[in-house]
Amino acid sequence: MSALISSRTRGLIALAGAALIGALASGRPELALIAMPLLVFAGAGLVLAREPHLAVEIELDRTRLLEGEHAVATVRLRNDGGGAVLVEVALLRTRNLALEPVGAAGILLRAGVRSELTFAVRPQRWGAHAVGPVVVCARDLLGVTTWEGRLGGRVDLRAFPREQRLRELVAPLRTQPFLGTHVARVRGEGIEFADVRPFHAGDRVRHINWRATARRGVPQVNERHPEHSSDVVLLLDTFEEARDSAGGTLDDAVRAAAALARACLARRDRVALVDFGGTLHWLEPAFGTTQLYRIIDALLASDIAFSYAWRNVETIPLRVLPPGALVLAISPLLDGRSLAMVADLRRRGFDLTVIEVSPLDHVSPGESDDDAAAYRLWRLQREAIRARLQSLGIGVAVWGRDGDLGPALEGVNIFRRSARPAVHA
Amino acid sequence: MLVDASGASQLAWLGAAVALVSLAVGMALGSPAAVHVAVAALGGIFLLRHDTRLLLAPVYGAGLLLMEDLAIQTIDLRGVGVVTLEALGARTASALAIAAIGACASAAAALAVAAAPRRSVGVTALGALAAVAAVAVIAWLARRRYGASE
Repeated sequence: MSALISSRTRGLIALAGAALIGALASGRPELALIAMPLLVFAGAGLVLAREPHLAVEIELDRTRLLEGEHAVATVRLRNDGGGAVLVEVALLRTRNLALEPVGAAGILLRAGVRSELTFAVRPQRWGAHAVGPVVVCARDLLGVTTWEGRLGGRVDLRAFPREQRLRELVAPLRTQPFLGTHVARVRGEGIEFADVRPFHAGDRVRHINWRATARRGVPQVNERHPEHSSDVVLLLDTFEEARDSAGGTLDDAVRAAAALARACLARRDRVALVDFGGTLHWLEPAFGTTQLYRIIDALLASDIAFSYAWRNVETIPLRVLPPGALVLAISPLLDGRSLAMVADLRRRGFDLTVIEVSPLDHVSPGESDDDAAAYRLWRLQREAIRARLQSLGIGVAVWGRDGDLGPALEGVNIFRRSARPAVHA
Repeated sequence: MLVDASGASQLAWLGAAVALVSLAVGMALGSPAAVHVAVAALGGIFLLRHDTRLLLAPVYGAGLLLMEDLAIQTIDLRGVGVVTLEALGARTASALAIAAIGACASAAAALAVAAAPRRSVGVTALGALAAVAAVAVIAWLARRRYGASE
């Protein structure tokens, strides 16, 4: 810690010096007498001040929490120095972390004594945050000398997005040959009845449909649809976002992606993640809880990275986009590059659904007539984009900040039942 | 400087106003320098009366010191959200104790001045020497403290 003579002490010494000179010059001893307590104060402060040897530890009661929850940060201080000091402790933290109480805390720390301060730490949005170190400003009891420094380590705090519970998901058009929960379009071993066909050598006797056999006179067997899993690719558009004081479309998009990843993995799908924006990050498809943690960790790191670079599907590694995968593009539909990529994916035959994280909640129409007209035009333009995507056979679920994602996805399922299926050879 | 009674009164009011404004500005902006300007203005007011008793000066000086300390405490605690009563009490008690000691020392000096023979070159030189020595000791202490911890 670095020691400083406080500006107050310098001022006191200067005042006293000026008063003494004034007393000598004017022959008025009162000035010197007035200055004497100031001199005694400064002198006593300098003589009595003992450098503190402070040690600080920072501890969080938990390092992982959900948005809206709070953790308790405990700052432990120990003074191994020779004298008591008044300590002001300000806990540093990353952006979007609110502290309670606000501001620094001031305590008296005697020599050889330990003390604890607690702060409530509340993340204002999901993400990887950090608490610490602390900025310590220690003063001797007279406030003559000041010691300042940064002490303690940095403790990571991860705030996971609060997810919606999804009961309905987009049904994939194609499935993969792994056991899952989707009724496959192909025929095989399963529960769902598909058709009846004549018996062939090798068919199991237990599959014979005796009623159909009796009616047709030749042995008939039941065919069934197997239960398979599917590949789901979550495509997170991080080119651009609309943001206001309450949050942005990226915040909502990450919440949607986390909820979809959890729901898809729960129904035994393989899930991949592509963070598609100014920078490109991806996670290859995989099953299970480990993949969920990987995805959420990757989502916490997602951010808007401004870039002029034009990106298309070819920049995404092929192994991240397996053939027949259901692509769920989560986008505010604000950037032409993401629109072009969605259209490109559709042309390549991917089963595609767009979850539009509506930016309308973050944009005000404005007060003037011109602003209002521009806002209406922008909304019309967005509707035209949505219609163009739907004309390509892409289902678009519009999801607002306060809405439920489930009903929006149900709307997409209804659209997909009537739309041209995205089957590609 | 000779001023008549009404002029001295006006100057005193002016000094008090300057001190008040400086104090308010200092506390609002967190500037110890402005607080010290207020202390200087109040110290100047004391000199306006020539018939003031010499023994009043130590009390006045201690009072100025306490006022300055309270103002500086207010400035120091501007960014502090929570402060314990123990911390406030310890600092105020220390300031009171040192102000009392300073007032006693100043009173002893006042008694010495009152008992001293009439002003002469020798006495003035002795006073100057004492003043320079006092400031030099403080400056040496400050330098030692500042240098030792670097």
